[in-house]
Amino acid sequence: MQHKNKANKVLVELKNINKMFLTDEVETHALNGVNLTIDKGQYLSITGPSGCGKSTLLSLLGLLDTASNGEYKLAGHDVSHLNRDERAKIRNKEIGFIFQSFNLISDLTVAENVELPLTYRSDLTKQQRAKNVQEALDKVDMGHRAKHFPSQLSGGQQQRVAIARAIAGSPSVILADEPTGNLDSKNAQIVMSILDQLHAEGATICMVTHDPRSAARSQRIIEVFDGKIVSDQFNSEVSAIAV
Amino acid sequence: MSIGIDIKYAARLLVKKPAFTATTVFIIAIGLGLTLFAYSLLSSLIFKPLTLGTNQEFVAIEGQYDYSHAYRESVDPFHLNQLVQEVDAIDDITYYGSGTALLSAIDAKTGTKKFNATFAKWNFFDVAGKQPIMGRNFTEADNFEGAEKVIMLSYEVWQSYFKGDNNIVDSMVNVDSEPMRVIGVMPENFAFPSHAQTWLLMPADQINPTKPSRNSAFGIARLNNSSSIEKLNQELSHFNQRMKADLPEEFIWRLRNGDNYLQATAYKKANSDVREYYSIFISLMVVVFLILLLACINVGNLLLTRVNERYKEIAIRVALGVPRQRLISQMLWESIFFCAIGAFIAFVLASWGIELTNAAFTRMFAVQQDQPFWWKLAIDGDALLVLFGAIVFMILITGLIPAWRALSGDFNAVLRDGTRGAMGKKASQTNKVLVISEILLSCIVLVIATILLTTSYFADKADYGVDTDKRITARLELPLEYYDVRWDTDFEAADHKKRNDFYYQLKSKLEDLPNIEAVAYMSQLPGTGEGTSHFEIEGMEAEVYNENPSSNNEVIGRDSWRAVGMHIIQGRDFDDRDAVPDANSMIVNESIALDLFPDGQAVGHRVRRISSRGEGEWQNIVGVVSDSYHGSAMDTSSAQYNSYHLMDSRSRQSINIAIHYKGGELQAKQTLFDTINATDANVAAYHIQSYQQLIQQPMMLVTTVSKIFLFCGVMAVLLAASGIYAVSANSITQKTQEIGVRRALGATDANIMKLFLSQAGIHLIIGLGIGIAISLWVINILQTTMIINSISYFIGLIAMPMLIIAMVLLATFIPTKKVVEMEPSEALHHD
Ligand SMILES: Nc1ncnc2c1ncn2[C@@H]1O[C@H](COP(=O)(O)OP(=O)(O)OP(=O)(O)O)[C@@H](O)[C@H]1O
Ligand SMILES: [Mg+2]
Repeated sequence: MQHKNKANKVLVELKNINKMFLTDEVETHALNGVNLTIDKGQYLSITGPSGCGKSTLLSLLGLLDTASNGEYKLAGHDVSHLNRDERAKIRNKEIGFIFQSFNLISDLTVAENVELPLTYRSDLTKQQRAKNVQEALDKVDMGHRAKHFPSQLSGGQQQRVAIARAIAGSPSVILADEPTGNLDSKNAQIVMSILDQLHAEGATICMVTHDPRSAARSQRIIEVFDGKIVSDQFNSEVSAIAV
Repeated sequence: MSIGIDIKYAARLLVKKPAFTATTVFIIAIGLGLTLFAYSLLSSLIFKPLTLGTNQEFVAIEGQYDYSHAYRESVDPFHLNQLVQEVDAIDDITYYGSGTALLSAIDAKTGTKKFNATFAKWNFFDVAGKQPIMGRNFTEADNFEGAEKVIMLSYEVWQSYFKGDNNIVDSMVNVDSEPMRVIGVMPENFAFPSHAQTWLLMPADQINPTKPSRNSAFGIARLNNSSSIEKLNQELSHFNQRMKADLPEEFIWRLRNGDNYLQATAYKKANSDVREYYSIFISLMVVVFLILLLACINVGNLLLTRVNERYKEIAIRVALGVPRQRLISQMLWESIFFCAIGAFIAFVLASWGIELTNAAFTRMFAVQQDQPFWWKLAIDGDALLVLFGAIVFMILITGLIPAWRALSGDFNAVLRDGTRGAMGKKASQTNKVLVISEILLSCIVLVIATILLTTSYFADKADYGVDTDKRITARLELPLEYYDVRWDTDFEAADHKKRNDFYYQLKSKLEDLPNIEAVAYMSQLPGTGEGTSHFEIEGMEAEVYNENPSSNNEVIGRDSWRAVGMHIIQGRDFDDRDAVPDANSMIVNESIALDLFPDGQAVGHRVRRISSRGEGEWQNIVGVVSDSYHGSAMDTSSAQYNSYHLMDSRSRQSINIAIHYKGGELQAKQTLFDTINATDANVAAYHIQSYQQLIQQPMMLVTTVSKIFLFCGVMAVLLAASGIYAVSANSITQKTQEIGVRRALGATDANIMKLFLSQAGIHLIIGLGIGIAISLWVINILQTTMIINSISYFIGLIAMPMLIIAMVLLATFIPTKKVVEMEPSEALHHD
């Protein structure tokens, strides 16, 4: 059954990915021969010690950076050799980012921040954009703060706005790099439940986390060590719920 | 103790980044140097009251400034005498007229030489507050009927012409061929009222008139210590009112523009060069102040960049409990270091500029020997105070911009390594203000500087409608002793004939010589002289006299055109028919004929001069001559219309001669000398120079000032370009993370570029909008005194804003491109 549906079930396919940084004549092999397949609708955690290459892996998945070599297929298309603008288009449509440090733009209001990725599309009217923004903000329970500026919000609220921004364009995959890293446990709890909720609605989520409790909420946990995937486990508890 | 550490810390930063330090110091030096120079220039020439070492300020008491003749009207000594009795702001008044004195020693070994003479009231040196170093002062008795004629010499005339002769006092000299007694020698460098070399007394009836007269003089007084020019002018306006009631009908012309008559002006401001180019001097002040501001902002921005680099460090220091005033003190010390080194270089630069300007003034006044004695720039105590003030101003602006920035952020947010929120907003506001100020200031400086520069350039290159190549010019002066001037008498015609005989004899003798082509006589040669009067055309008279056209009027000799390269276009040149006293013939130039007469046919029509004082006799137009221009080409008082009258029945005691020669200039000058001596050795020729030199004279001040503007303009472009680039590059670099976020969210290169270019566009619209509005206002003021041609407008108001637009777009494009080319993951982690 798994084999039969492969063509439309697999979203991400990394083959033998290497990433090498060169700074001051020093080579850092951040990723070393990584192979990874992610199915549609999967909720995946990436864990590992500091400096092992988690963020680098997520950047490559999100097309924020290119691999030194290897092959990357997103929804069946090879995206390893696209130019900057083609990659930007894919990020815009297919990928939603959530950062540890929120990365909201200070000059823009909450609503404008959420609308930002939609403005880079040509296929949406102003009304459609406004509707998407409203829906996304309502999902994270931030609709009442639409006119505020980020500096007027708490960290937890900012991160909720950032999540709204990530989902406003209905991407195929949400990439989150330690989304709760800057939050206290209460706010972290809220953010995690939003992610659970999104997953329940069918979103594909790929999250880097240090926190075993957060990782435990996902379907699948990957452990990276020194640029290599050293463990790949399905979380029976969670997947049981999902199935 | 803590200050010691701050100083050490600041000094270490300077040494650590030599390129940064050099750039900053250079910009400061330019700003301060120009300020110091401009202050010295403007205070020497205009603003520092003239006191001649006393503690009282001199004021000029004269009539209205006459723009069409570019000088202040002189006034009736009768009223000046009356004034002293009635006005409290001054205790005493003196007055004078200017002229020349042809001096020859009695021994006759040294030749005749022309000197500037001041004809004054006997109390002149008392009011000036200076006594002669040898001999005695004028006394009232020198003015009595039958008293011996006396002359006072300047130190310089005594030294150069009389070789410092110790027995000079009480000796006799010939002044305009009349023996006079030398009564004294004034101190060195004393040339009051402006460039006097000798002082003589006014005729007695002019000094003590008993009723209103046609006599004219310029008044000088010293303000009482408790008084001010404003107060004096109030008193003067009351005086004018009272005086008006008693003024006989025939002198009503003294009142101009309403009831204005006597006015007090700060002494230096009454100088005609200053008055004429006042707006240029003021624009210089504006431009230099703007450059100082521009320099401050550039330096502030450079220091700001550094604060941004060290922002985390500062945040940590604040978190660790370092008091904010310590941080400010540290940043101020940095500015103090920069400004101190910059000020030193500024002093050297300004001294150099002052030396160049003094040399330019010397050249400018060399021929006429008419340099006002206070036109000598120097860095005095006041200038040093101004420099000090400018340094403090600069330290505050350059130190406080970064200090304010450093302390106004939300440090917690920074330390949480958090959002692009809290700190980003303030920073981007600062940057917005900086970019717009850069655009605005650059715009004003560049527009004004280029308009002045191009205007004076075109004026310098102007075509005056005459050939100046292979021409020398000179001024001839006939001694009164042999050539009488008796107005309205039976002898008048005979006097004219005697003068004409000399002039025409000299002309034909010269033209017979192989190296002389042609000789012209004109009251003022094209390219010089200015001032117009109104004339009306028979059958086309205007209702009010001053709605008639106006023209410049010259008296010329027969057969003069070819010597200066002009030619008759219609009708004929002057000849014997026009020499009879009541012939009333005139020639007009082509512009008058084309503009004012049907089909350009002026010959046969009649015109007459008309003014508030009445009208002249009708004149018959007998010819039309090619166009030429009098006055300086950038001066609004220069005339486009010229009318000419024959010299024969108006022959003057002195006239300008222009000679077209072959061969060498020196030989031509010698020929002129020799021929004059052979004709009448008593006649003096002076201001002998090439025609080109003559034309450059009225332009020299403008040429000098325009060189200063050129320097300002080049510096402004440099500061503007580097400043705009630094500010916008800085602001874009600060937005690297934001760009990273936008790209992560799917912005294409074009999206990002569009975003920043359109922001730059908004900055440009605001900056240029305000900048051009202010420039237009300044240009409007400039326009009252100078002709700004369309090319200057184009370069100033179109090309300069375009240049700024190009600079801003480039300064946005290059740094944005750099950031866009980063991988988004890298941009996101930029700090
Ligand atoms: N732009 C870069 N230039 C040079 N080296 C880099 C760069 N980005 C990451 N590295 C190096 O690559 C390795 C992996 O970094 P990465 O940020 O992926 O680690 P991480 O697993 O996310 O660690 P952490 O849990 O601390 O965030 C590290 O050794 C890091 O120093
Ligand atoms: Mg990481």
